[in-house]
Amino acid sequence: MNYLFHVLIMICIYLILSLSINLLVGYIGLLSLCHAAFYAIGAYTTAILTVEAGANFYLTLVLGFFLSILLSLVIAVPSLRLKGDYFLLASLGFQIIMFNILNNWVKLTKGPYGIAGIPKPNLFGILVNSQVLFFILALLISGVVLLFMNFTYTSPFGRVLKAIREDEILILSLGRNTFLLKISAFALSAGIASIAGSMYSVYATYIDPTCFTLDESIFILSIILVGGSGNFRGPIIGTIFMILLPEVLRFIGIPDTIAPNVRQMIYGAILVILMIKRPQGIAGEYKME
Amino acid sequence: MLRIINLTKYFGGIKAVDNVTIDFKPGKITSLIGPNGAGKSTIFNLINGFLRPDHGEVILDSTSICPTGSKNIRGEIKLHKMKPYEIAQIGIGRLFQDVRNFKKLNCLDNLILGSRDIKGEKLIETLMHFQICKKVESELKKEAIRYLQLLGLEERQNAFAEDLSFGEQKLISLARLLLGKYDVLLLDEPTAGINPFMIERILDLIIKAAKEMHKTVILIEHNMNVVYRVSDWIYFINNGALSAFGLPDEVLNDPEVRKIYIGL
Repeated sequence: MNYLFHVLIMICIYLILSLSINLLVGYIGLLSLCHAAFYAIGAYTTAILTVEAGANFYLTLVLGFFLSILLSLVIAVPSLRLKGDYFLLASLGFQIIMFNILNNWVKLTKGPYGIAGIPKPNLFGILVNSQVLFFILALLISGVVLLFMNFTYTSPFGRVLKAIREDEILILSLGRNTFLLKISAFALSAGIASIAGSMYSVYATYIDPTCFTLDESIFILSIILVGGSGNFRGPIIGTIFMILLPEVLRFIGIPDTIAPNVRQMIYGAILVILMIKRPQGIAGEYKME
Repeated sequence: MLRIINLTKYFGGIKAVDNVTIDFKPGKITSLIGPNGAGKSTIFNLINGFLRPDHGEVILDSTSICPTGSKNIRGEIKLHKMKPYEIAQIGIGRLFQDVRNFKKLNCLDNLILGSRDIKGEKLIETLMHFQICKKVESELKKEAIRYLQLLGLEERQNAFAEDLSFGEQKLISLARLLLGKYDVLLLDEPTAGINPFMIERILDLIIKAAKEMHKTVILIEHNMNVVYRVSDWIYFINNGALSAFGLPDEVLNDPEVRKIYIGL
């Protein structure tokens, strides 16, 4: 039973990440390879403040959100003037820089040793110390994020972001400051990703920099490429598919020695097939060009 | 009134626009005609800020869009030139030569995006003033539906723009500018590639914009029947420079225009 709840909790956490990156990929049409960095900012904010200062989890979640927004501006302001591939490279650079900071700023992050003993949060005064309770907490937080992101996607803000994706020259000629709009979307996306990080750190109770590598950023991006982007369904379907897939593969009897490699090969094959046969993903609206 | 004064633009060593001065009056349709590559679309790009002039100025009423530079104390010329979105915000709208719509948005959203007064495009604004934003959005939706009814496209309001015919897409682009209440409309070949029936509908909209809504309409067009029918004033541009101008009869019967452009 605990295993089932573990899978469901991971779906909730990755759902938040996929909803956040959907705002970039599906709405502005920008690929980002630094979402694990914002995921890390949330995780480390919560881990450091709860372990070192005994801060309340929910307070650290809010602080992580704003810190992530602030740090996103460091990359957004200079690089969102760049287009397509150049932005992708800038985001890759930010991801690598963040990983190195986490790995080398030992005084703050404990470097490769990681931070252990992250305390469990409370939910309505009850200590969340079981998988079931944590699932309820994850469901509540991801539910709120889901509703908020749905509101964002369907608001005039979401519509104008889609307009940027469709034709930036045209929307500029209609009086929209696309640079400012892109920065807002990127910052919001970064902030939302940090919420997933905060949740992950109190769930796992231990984090280290290897949880937030480039591979993680690629995985988050893959969710949206597989599930589809530019609407509400894509991230949900993508998250469920990508989290459940390795679990399903566990049951087909691949020897343990080669199982991880086989899993990676299957992931790769699925991505290649989808890109050829269905470039908009399983349920997506936006087709990357 | 929109004025362009001594507008000049070089592309490398080529003078694409050569010292052009024109006054465009509200309520009038002014056509720019000339061979391909004469510099007509470049003038549009200079007016709506996608290109910067090397010399000259664009003035809308009393606002200078591309002010000529003034020297600072170090003798450097400092220019504050408006960006394309700022130029659109003060009321200059453009219909592009190639049909441009938001393909994966429906017709209704395509029209609403023409509005320069959308509340809620800043997310914080929506969250803080949800009711006001909702009201503005609902009024805009009603106005967009009115335009779709006017165009006979009300049944296609939920269709993606990319699923419309070429002519319908042009109608949507034009209606979007009208919904945006732009004072100046830069229309780059609005009837190119359109069937005669659809041309009539587009011309009705253009004439309505100038005569009923009192907008300044500037038209680039190669269809001389259209130019003759709707224009109040015509400027003939050749090799970037103004070669002839006047009433439609005068310009279209000008021997130079007939020889160089019309081919008679």
